Amino acid sequence: MRGFNVLLQKEFREAWRSWKFLWIPLVFALLGMSDPLTNYYMMDILNAVGNVPEGFEMLMPELMPLDLIQASIGQFQTIGLLVMMASFVGAISKERANGMATLLYARPISFGAYFLSKFVVMSTICFVSILAGFGASVYYTTILYGTLDVGALLVSFSTYYIWLLFVIAVTLMMSASFKTVIATTCAFTVIFVGQIIDMIIGIFWTISPWKLASYGIAKFRGTIEMSDYWWSLVITLALTIICIGIGIVMMKRNASMTKI
Amino acid sequence: MMEELAKVPWAVIAPLIIVQIILMIVALIDLRKIHATNGPKILWVFIILFANLFGSIAYFIVGRKQS
Repeated sequence: MRGFNVLLQKEFREAWRSWKFLWIPLVFALLGMSDPLTNYYMMDILNAVGNVPEGFEMLMPELMPLDLIQASIGQFQTIGLLVMMASFVGAISKERANGMATLLYARPISFGAYFLSKFVVMSTICFVSILAGFGASVYYTTILYGTLDVGALLVSFSTYYIWLLFVIAVTLMMSASFKTVIATTCAFTVIFVGQIIDMIIGIFWTISPWKLASYGIAKFRGTIEMSDYWWSLVITLALTIICIGIGIVMMKRNASMTKI
Repeated sequence: MMEELAKVPWAVIAPLIIVQIILMIVALIDLRKIHATNGPKILWVFIILFANLFGSIAYFIVGRKQS
């Protein structure tokens, strides 16, 4: 791990200077706020914009605090992941394209250390982001709906974080393997098409990384088998490590793709 | 006037406004410092100022030119 600390500092400084530590958490906080708010004020919103006819009555579902956390996770799953992947996917391929990588690759750094330093910084940003997201969601849920169970929160939070680590690993691996455009397509395909496939025909299997995001809450509700949860967790972690391994190898192999 | 202000549920609205203002200020500071953007700079000033939340986020995703 030659120069890991130096590279880590460089990555941190870069992420800090491009404000990534600030705006990605804020986006997640907004996403976390949106669901409790819109659900609580749904009737008012409909009255204000919906042209509701006279004497119209609608039965609103009685939402429990956990439902809202689940809804917020759903928001993170679509827009949150989109923002996160869009800002991370160029991490390695863009450096190759604009020639910055030449400066680094000419030095005796280990590719493993470089890849891991990027991974560590991104997972830190992710951690701060979902902390902000969950914080905002929990704040509004407690104000508007009622208190939440701390245990359920911790479980769903850590489960979701492990899923995000998998997403980052896939994104970085694609970024190491291809040019930015192709990497974006491939990473989005793996994560989003995977989710869609899991949604459509996912009832035929119970263990998959794409299910993990909703398993955090489901585990607490007792609607799934415990073994399914743990197996999904283990498989996701294993896939994350495999992706990191492939990423390092591809980074080394594609070192010649840098623009000089 | 003060009574109407007191009626507003501040616990609900204040965080939203704070997040919005922080995002806007950070985006404007960054725009001031950055060398070049994708598209004319003055356009981004208007987008950040008038397309509230969405504008600043859009600036960070597509507006910044990584040099």
